[in-house]
Amino acid sequence: MLIKTENLWKIYEVGAEKVHAVQGISLEVEKGEYLAIMGPSGSGKSTLMNLIGCLDTPTRGKYFLNGQLVSQLTDDELARIRSKEIGFVFQTFNLLPRATALHNVELPLIYNGTPSAERIRRAKDALKMVDLEDRMTHRPNELSGGQRQRVALARALSNNPSIILADEPTGNLDTATGSEIMQLFGRLHSQGNTLIVITHEAEVARYADRIIHIRDGKIEKEERLTKQG
Amino acid sequence: MQFLESILLALSSLRANKLRSILTLIGVIIGVMTVIAVVSIIAGMNRYVVDKISALGSTTFVIDRIGVVTSEEEFFEALKRKKLTMEDMEAVRENCAFCYQVGGRVVTVRKVKYKNQYLSDVYIAGATANWPELISGIDLESGRSPTDFDEDHRRQVALIGWEIADKLFFGLDPLDKEIRIGGRRFKIVGMAEKRGTFLGQSQDNFVIIPITTFHKIYGTRRSVDIFVKAQDLESMREAQDQARMILRLRRKVPQDKPDDFSIMTAETFMDLYRNFTSTAFLVMIGVSSIALVVGGIVIMNIMLVSVTERTREIGVRKAVGARRRHILWQFLVEAVTLSLVGGIIGILIGVLIAKLVSVTTPLPSAVEWWSVVAGLLIASSVGIFFGIYPAMKAARLNPIEALRYE
Repeated sequence: MLIKTENLWKIYEVGAEKVHAVQGISLEVEKGEYLAIMGPSGSGKSTLMNLIGCLDTPTRGKYFLNGQLVSQLTDDELARIRSKEIGFVFQTFNLLPRATALHNVELPLIYNGTPSAERIRRAKDALKMVDLEDRMTHRPNELSGGQRQRVALARALSNNPSIILADEPTGNLDTATGSEIMQLFGRLHSQGNTLIVITHEAEVARYADRIIHIRDGKIEKEERLTKQG
Repeated sequence: MQFLESILLALSSLRANKLRSILTLIGVIIGVMTVIAVVSIIAGMNRYVVDKISALGSTTFVIDRIGVVTSEEEFFEALKRKKLTMEDMEAVRENCAFCYQVGGRVVTVRKVKYKNQYLSDVYIAGATANWPELISGIDLESGRSPTDFDEDHRRQVALIGWEIADKLFFGLDPLDKEIRIGGRRFKIVGMAEKRGTFLGQSQDNFVIIPITTFHKIYGTRRSVDIFVKAQDLESMREAQDQARMILRLRRKVPQDKPDDFSIMTAETFMDLYRNFTSTAFLVMIGVSSIALVVGGIVIMNIMLVSVTERTREIGVRKAVGARRRHILWQFLVEAVTLSLVGGIIGILIGVLIAKLVSVTTPLPSAVEWWSVVAGLLIASSVGIFFGIYPAMKAARLNPIEALRYE
């Protein structure tokens, strides 16, 4: 089992009020799965993504990633896990504006201590996987939205992570570009990558094998999709 | 790699905001510049002064009437003292067992003529024949110095400084020519090597004649400076004490009164000089530390701005696996790079100022390599000291909040 959470809670204190963003979520994800987490805004899906992505620790509950208990780690230990196990794709791409595409893709490898020659080779490979090997020296402002998201995807792939976590990956793209990105996700999945996509759009979620619907911090329902064709 | 990347990143952000960068760095530039300029000028002076003062070797001391005075009052008080005479000198020469060589010197300023050429304000020194034993730093280029024989017979012979030879003889051999000093003829028996200038003053416009000849012509009303060389360093103290006792006895100074003459060693002059340079150093430290503190605060401010501006970038870096120390390091390197650029500019301007000063004023200057190293060290310490807080602030950012930052 790649991901196993047991009764995860996340409670924020906003002033005097307590916000129960995630309320006792237990879920399991297997290696090679393509999962969508769906829910309206405010449902707690982003908080869940932060927990799964090791950006945050739960208030209560346990989280095992690759069999390792990661719910009680310090900041730096989480960072170490992220640099090895997780690749992020954000709605707003979050590329470094002054760095080239290649350098952006290299970034996770810098922090997990990959030697320089190896790093460049792997970053180039990752860019090849998203069909951007001819844009390596371009900066984000010289790329289209779809290209930027592909660079971000290459960045998520570069450290060969256990999971790729995408938060509304098509939210800032037009429909055509969005479906291109989703097709790319499909291709990566068929190559054996584990993908988790967080979205509020059914259109995006339907590319997955399994959809978990979240509402008010709880799992509302779960559906398994059978691939057509 | 991360190190290099951070430096390049810092340099590119410097280039992106040229005016802002210059304004940011001005404090550090002024601070480092002051250090370099002052150290260079003082080092330049040191080189000269130590050289000049050591002309009076470490085993030599001078007894004169006035001594080193630091106020007008002291000067007028000293003027009341009795002159030192040739007899005083003779007494020291005969009775001081620890004194290895004793000589005398009297100085005046006169016009020197050769044919229809003349030089005014030339130092005419009457010296005992043993002066080369007592004063170093004047080397013969040709000929000889006045001898005991010249002294005994009050001969009108002269050793001339390089400038006299240069200006009156235009490169011709001056030996055996006759110059006129105050209407009297002197035969040139020797010529000194060039000594150059010190604090803008030529050191080569002098004429040395036998002290007896000097007294014959100009009278004995001038106080004689007595030069004494001790046997060795160990006997310096005893030689001074003995000479002091001999003179006090001769000059009938009561037991409870201070000496009516003064004894100066190379150390005396060095102390005086050190006093002066330590003041200059203090002023420099004051000016540069104020500038550096202000410069450091400005750097801290700009780094805080930079951390805020790049909150999202920090969030991204953390999300993809950067640990605290990676972020800390990145911003620290950036702050140090920033302040080092200021330091380098400061060094360049400081060196330029030192060179400019030595070209346009009599003050010499010498750029000391250690001051350049110190300048770089100071600049980088300012960067570290004032960069650590913004860097820690960046390192501690929560990745989720940083990613959400607009």
